[in-house]
Amino acid sequence: MVRNIVVLGGNSHPKLVESVCSSLGLPPCNRLLGKFSSGESRCEIQDSVRGKDVYIIQTGFGGNGAKLNDHFMDLCIMISACKTGSARRVTAVLPLFPYSRQPDLPYTKAGAPLFKAPSENSRKDYTFDSVPATPAPGIPRSNGLINGGDITNKLLKTSLTNGSGPCSPAPDGKPNGEGYFNGNGTNGVNGAHADSGATKQASFTTHDYENLSIVNAFQARPGYKQWVAQAGTLVANLLTCAGADHVITMDLHDPQVQGFFDVPVDNLYGRPLLKQYIMQNIPNYKDAVMVSPDAGGAKRATAIADSMGIDFALIHKERRPTRITDRQNASMMLVGNVTDRVCILLDDIADTGNTITRAAKLLKKEGATKIYALLTHGVFSGDAISRIKASALDKVVVTNSVPQADHKALLGSKLEVLDIAPMFAEAIRRVHHGESISVLFNFD
Amino acid sequence: MSGEMANEIKLISGRSHPELSDKIAKRLGVEVARTISLNYSNQETSFTVGESVRDEDVFIIQSTATGDVNEGLMELLIMISACRTASARRITAVIPNFPYARQDKKDKSRAPISARLVANMLQTAGANHIVTVDLHASQVSMGSTIQGFFSVPVDNLYAEPSFLRYIRENFKTEDCVIVSPDAGGAKRATSIADHLNTAFALIHKERPRPNVVGRMVLVGNVEDKIAILVDDMADTCGTLVKAAAVLKENGAKSVLALVTHGILSGNAIETLNGSVLSALVVTNTVPLGDKVERCPKLRVIDISPTIAEAIRRTHNGESVSYLFTHAPV
Repeated sequence: MVRNIVVLGGNSHPKLVESVCSSLGLPPCNRLLGKFSSGESRCEIQDSVRGKDVYIIQTGFGGNGAKLNDHFMDLCIMISACKTGSARRVTAVLPLFPYSRQPDLPYTKAGAPLFKAPSENSRKDYTFDSVPATPAPGIPRSNGLINGGDITNKLLKTSLTNGSGPCSPAPDGKPNGEGYFNGNGTNGVNGAHADSGATKQASFTTHDYENLSIVNAFQARPGYKQWVAQAGTLVANLLTCAGADHVITMDLHDPQVQGFFDVPVDNLYGRPLLKQYIMQNIPNYKDAVMVSPDAGGAKRATAIADSMGIDFALIHKERRPTRITDRQNASMMLVGNVTDRVCILLDDIADTGNTITRAAKLLKKEGATKIYALLTHGVFSGDAISRIKASALDKVVVTNSVPQADHKALLGSKLEVLDIAPMFAEAIRRVHHGESISVLFNFD
Repeated sequence: MSGEMANEIKLISGRSHPELSDKIAKRLGVEVARTISLNYSNQETSFTVGESVRDEDVFIIQSTATGDVNEGLMELLIMISACRTASARRITAVIPNFPYARQDKKDKSRAPISARLVANMLQTAGANHIVTVDLHASQVSMGSTIQGFFSVPVDNLYAEPSFLRYIRENFKTEDCVIVSPDAGGAKRATSIADHLNTAFALIHKERPRPNVVGRMVLVGNVEDKIAILVDDMADTCGTLVKAAAVLKENGAKSVLALVTHGILSGNAIETLNGSVLSALVVTNTVPLGDKVERCPKLRVIDISPTIAEAIRRTHNGESVSYLFTHAPV
């Protein structure tokens, strides 16, 4: 029993709130949280929070009848309500931090901004003489040459033949350049290549758009390189502006996000749980190979591999054009040997499932006998579930940082869920009592 | 606006009300900037910028669609913050229907003052200026508290001039009586009545005990007149429809309502269709979707000229107060 502490749950993950509360031995705070018919969030906190240490649990996941942004606004409103209700300290507990991943830019394989089939408009506007649309007195916007369209045409062809290494097209990606590429058999561009060129965007980002055709139809102003807003800093600022005094989260995709905050951030690790799973559930784990599906996660994977004394391999996502003729995995390279070994893929988050399923395919091709994927956050949005079902993965292990009941129902025994509630309960208890939480970081 | 000028108006539209943005853009003679807002499959909002906003005077137009308030608000915050990081000279959030405006006081223990939170969030994201229409005020005579939540300028435009014109164009003013549906809105109604030189009435809600809505009492005379109810927002329309029934009982020839924000959530349309109201006139601050087709009683006044003119004046550093009394044609 812990005194003077209030645990308040949002709507995003009621099960986690329940189990954290039962671990701490206290009832969750009574509250009313819903929506008015106008769509505004409605929040009433029914228990006193005056002088209390308040922990608000809300994970960055859309579901349970509301969207991700609704959950985030609910969190901010709850924080603010506790603050105005004279809470001594308010801690936001976000097992999965929303907007923590910086979205990939819609780059093509060649690393150049994605070229679009030019519309009538830009054919007219875009020429070699085009200047960026920087406003300056006396600089006219380009008026376009008569043959401007041809130049754009040629540019497009060149960039396609360079980047001819194709990759698996997105399931619903509609190649918007189809009409453009038709009857375009010169320069060695065949139909299949053109097709995959148009859907490149989907295969190379870690985010899937809900409506890809809009993205593909979008055109930046001639001469301007389009970019995607990064909301990480904003989300951090919004939480502190709402009144959060402390933030507890787990396995931040970019540990740099901690630096966005002016308040303390405790970043817990899912590693101890994952390591425990390996030792208890993977037979002869000493002979397995730990594989990082991308270079960014290499450090994470080597940390566990080293501490367990097992081998390590790395998959490198090649963004440069390659001339490898094998269609499916031309863009991925395996560094290390996995032949006749059990592979353990380790990543912090699986959203669309693209990275891990592609990695699994490559590992299988390289002769891996069994493939486990160990992930901290299993968001599994879009087509992730069907991708994983159809993939070479033998087992996917995730934590319940987001609700997994629906995923479990769809994936069955392929999915294994580890419980993070005890770890968060312990972190809350320690933070409340002012004890060090670094002992939770040790995974030996 | 010619393309050569530095520091132009940059109009950025969110997803909530593109029709209004298009009208404003047309009125200003500028193009809506090339940006797109989308959701990723994990429901995070993404905002892609396709043209430079460096050193420009950025106006971001985002109303809040009924039912999707939080989506719209997050999108607006992300848009503001993106323009801030892209070195815009000034960022003005044009929010015709300010979200959470009704939650502007701590009316119960631990009730959130969400309007203040929204104000803080907008400033945190980087808004330098706010333009809105008929900001909610629980006591109109006191003015809106929300303006006080901001430390940046808030231009609160009024739909009143547009309403006055609508009444003058459609009715003989001597046949009308302006009615406030509750005591709090008396100031709003008297102001219109004074401008039109018409009679004024008020409906008083008796509350015999707390939380029990008693009967509605009409103060004033509406017999054989066209009763015009005036309010700032119509949400579920319950009060409005009850007030209309009271007016009809008291001998009003016909009853119509003039409301700035037609939120019209829940069963509002059905309630309206079955009511004695002959018409509900709203402005297009809130996207109405298919509601106009579903409700033959719904009429819409275009508020975009007022907003466009406010944007133009703000950009050129002219006074906006002219718009408080005049509606641009």
